Amino acid sequence: MKSLKDRYCIVGVGETEYSRNSGRTTRAMAVDAIRKAMLDAGLGPGDMDGMMSYQSGDSTPANWVASDLGLRLNFYMDVFGGGSSTEALVGLAMGAIETGMCNTVALFRSMNGYTEFRIGGTGARAAQPVRSLDLAQVPFGMRSAGQAFALTFMRHMYEYGTTSEQVAHVRVAHSKHASQNPKAAQKERVTVQDVVGSRWIVKPLHLLDCCLETDNATCLIVTSAERARDLRARPIYVMGVAGRVNKPRTDFHWAHGPITRVAGYYAKDIVFGQAGIAPDDVDITGSYDAFTFTTMLQLEEYGFCKKGEGGQYVSSGIIELGGKRPNNTSGGHLCEGYTHGMSMVIENVRQLRGTTDDYCPGAAKGEHTYDYAPGRCRQVRDPQITMNLGWAMPPTGSALIMRRG
Amino acid sequence: MPEPVQYRGMSLLIPDNDSEWKEYFAHARQHTLMLRACNACRLMRYPPTHACPWCMEPGWTWKEVSGRGTIYSYETVVHAIQPGFKDATPYSVVLVELDEQRGAPTPDEALRIIGNLVKADGTTMEDAKKVAIGKRVRVVFHDLAPHMALPQFTLTDEPAPGRVWQLPE
Repeated sequence: MKSLKDRYCIVGVGETEYSRNSGRTTRAMAVDAIRKAMLDAGLGPGDMDGMMSYQSGDSTPANWVASDLGLRLNFYMDVFGGGSSTEALVGLAMGAIETGMCNTVALFRSMNGYTEFRIGGTGARAAQPVRSLDLAQVPFGMRSAGQAFALTFMRHMYEYGTTSEQVAHVRVAHSKHASQNPKAAQKERVTVQDVVGSRWIVKPLHLLDCCLETDNATCLIVTSAERARDLRARPIYVMGVAGRVNKPRTDFHWAHGPITRVAGYYAKDIVFGQAGIAPDDVDITGSYDAFTFTTMLQLEEYGFCKKGEGGQYVSSGIIELGGKRPNNTSGGHLCEGYTHGMSMVIENVRQLRGTTDDYCPGAAKGEHTYDYAPGRCRQVRDPQITMNLGWAMPPTGSALIMRRG
Repeated sequence: MPEPVQYRGMSLLIPDNDSEWKEYFAHARQHTLMLRACNACRLMRYPPTHACPWCMEPGWTWKEVSGRGTIYSYETVVHAIQPGFKDATPYSVVLVELDEQRGAPTPDEALRIIGNLVKADGTTMEDAKKVAIGKRVRVVFHDLAPHMALPQFTLTDEPAPGRVWQLPE
């Protein structure tokens, strides 16, 4: 399999605050996040010539944002999409640089996901006319992401005996991690009882099985390994990437079962093949947690446990800080804030650098206590390899494996 | 462009050039569930599409199916997103596996359709406590306009062919 393993790096990361009242435009937030990522990498206006974003008509295009930062671009592209875009865009940025179209690419996602276009589907999103493929589900009161995915989750419980209590552990773990994250929108630790006792949204999802809706912008900067060596931050190498891999019949994926199978089934050989590693080599996972269930489904599909045993895996303690392979150490979409996937890659970059922004006094210098009590440390000890599992829908996903330089 | 059909606060928009949906819903208005079948390999597909998802053949013929099937999965919406569904909560969305063409062309494939679980009148939401994977259903039609009806599903008294399962609460 063709691979660009270790030839490209993530060299800068940045984000805004995660809030429910940004009070500013997606353009202003994008500028903020990209500027922070450029400063993180040690790049000035003349040092970056590529930019990509993803959005669904709810953001500001790259060529408007670039001018605000004094950039003249040799390449830009705004793609249509939400979840699973982050990892795919890392791969596309590598391709753009590989062809010689540009040298360094910023990827951003900027969204007022609470105050303008509610990610949960209420408000403007619910008012759109229903046409084309949407006619197969929306007229039946199936419009939000939770409503669109719940058939998959329910069938998993039927086929494998997965329980609400088991998947609640995903929220428990991510809330534990968020309690070590000054940026997290929800820092309170919750229990399994809190999750299964919270009100129903769409069965089998309780309120606390669902992620947050937040306003924020996030950014990653990609460049060649050669160039990365001259930049400020410790380079983080891309070992493998799979972008927007699909199941058959993505137009109506329920037609092609088992519907409990998700896109990772097809993506795993691509991404592990490029990287030349196996799931056991991964120290930290970042699995798209739009819902507790999505994390569980992806972890089992990528082979971190056997298919059908995801419920046991996520409730075993493995995915918590201090466990064998923590997942979403920032708190993820469930607790830190909803970013359509970018924040989980940012977190893994910082973990690999050894500089997670937790409450340790020396965090910025990479000095950590590894005390995972509330309000303390969230740095994993000496991680070498991380993996991100991006989710758009059950039949569409992306993946990214990175290592420390 | 025809006027959108209003249903539960939604504008259902089926332009004249959208022949697949226009004809599907028009057949439903005649209270028949019709699917497109490939002229080459004869396999039916849902939703109605432009070419065969198995053999790429563009030619198709509408073919009637019985509308009988089994609930393959379900969900129950307690917190409605669309304002027009608030008064219907809790309502169940069912994924129905039709009796025709089960396990074809591969064992994991089937004709599956999404609808609400409704009472036999076709319009009233069924008691959400009655929904379960494995239960038998049949199609019923909710007339929305002279050229459109929404296929929905209602429980039958047929015995379930296999395991019946409901989310434990």
